[in-house]
Amino acid sequence: MKNTINTDLLVACQQCDALYDKPHLKQGQLAKCHRCGYTLIERKVDSINRSFNWSLASLIFMLPAILLPLMGITLAGQFHQASLFDCILVMIDRGFFMVACLVFLFAIAVPIVRLSGALYISYCFKFNRLRPSLLNFFRAYHYLDHWAMLNVFMLAIVVSMYKLIDDAELSVNLGLLAFILWLICSTMSTSTLDQDYIWEKLEKAFPKKRLARENS
Amino acid sequence: MKTAKQLGLTLCPKCHKLNSLTADQQQCSRCNSLFYQRKRNSLQFTLAWSIAALIAFIPANLYPIMIIYQLGIPDGANILSGIGELVDYGLYPIAIIIFTASIIVPLFKIVGLFVLVYKVHTGIRLKPDKHSKFYHALELLGPWSMLDVFVVTLMVTVVELGYVTSVAAGPAINYFTLTVIFTMFAANSFDPRLLWDKKAADEALLTPNNLTDHLTNNLLEKRDRNDP
Repeated sequence: MKNTINTDLLVACQQCDALYDKPHLKQGQLAKCHRCGYTLIERKVDSINRSFNWSLASLIFMLPAILLPLMGITLAGQFHQASLFDCILVMIDRGFFMVACLVFLFAIAVPIVRLSGALYISYCFKFNRLRPSLLNFFRAYHYLDHWAMLNVFMLAIVVSMYKLIDDAELSVNLGLLAFILWLICSTMSTSTLDQDYIWEKLEKAFPKKRLARENS
Repeated sequence: MKTAKQLGLTLCPKCHKLNSLTADQQQCSRCNSLFYQRKRNSLQFTLAWSIAALIAFIPANLYPIMIIYQLGIPDGANILSGIGELVDYGLYPIAIIIFTASIIVPLFKIVGLFVLVYKVHTGIRLKPDKHSKFYHALELLGPWSMLDVFVVTLMVTVVELGYVTSVAAGPAINYFTLTVIFTMFAANSFDPRLLWDKKAADEALLTPNNLTDHLTNNLLEKRDRNDP
């Protein structure tokens, strides 16, 4: 009895499990849940091209943002500057391994993995090179949804600059500019990647596998 | 309003594809991930992570989080006294930001999750629409309490002028990081759909469910056409 319901024609809300007929949306439209107001489906405009370009740009800014010094201070004739990577090295040096690990994960590793994932997926879609491994790849991309904290790190930079500005002479370096651009590009690349569209395409591209499993 | 659970369907948490429920541990027909209809033991996990976060929050506030050495003299400050110093210097906006990110948000999250778990468990004064919005806010606020950890890391790295001034991190930073991670795990393991399930179960007890809505009728018609 249950198997006769065609699941392709329906959509359920992630937050409250309410069931709806699947809406047909144009690019740029989004459907919201009646009951809890959460977004059901969103069709983003020109998603593949945009996320390809944004993630490519952010991968270019990535290296300077990590390696160039973010800011420096001058106090009593002494000058010292630090980059994002220095933060991790110093924390390891002082024995705070857990903090160093987590800063590395949240501010460097997770953003990089997500960006290269977005780049790879949009590259494959752009040049029509779909392959079954993309399913696993895109699923892994979802696991890291909550754990990229570049925006928090940006606020931390602003706060510590504000703290230091009274006591010492503060200088801003190229690294900060690269970091801001990296933040903007990576935020844009995640917000332009259209998940529903990609999943639907992937499902259409590999239908045989699915039928085989349902019959077995 | 019908839910997917009532019709024997489940939603894949990764790719948001509807599957018809076949097994307890379901494999998604689109992305092959394994999942359950509702997050398993959601309330227990949420409660456990929240309690762990609360326990880690105590040493995070007792030990110094940042130690400033000026001319070799150490001056340790824990989270609250650091905020007090900022207020003394007149840096109000920063004091408010740090206070919000490192005291209010973690406590708010822990207490909020306790309340949500309690309400789902007992069903007392449960308003799913409001509470699911509240949960969504909690989830979004989560990463922002890492702010203090990042600030301390930056200060330690940048302010390194040998004997004149240097900053060292205190032991509290480890505990504070643990608190933040635990609250994020707690928020992730809560399933907001349980709020609606509980409400629906309570309503079903009160009113006999003889009204079928538009969607169910549609489905029934389709099914009739399919089975001659």
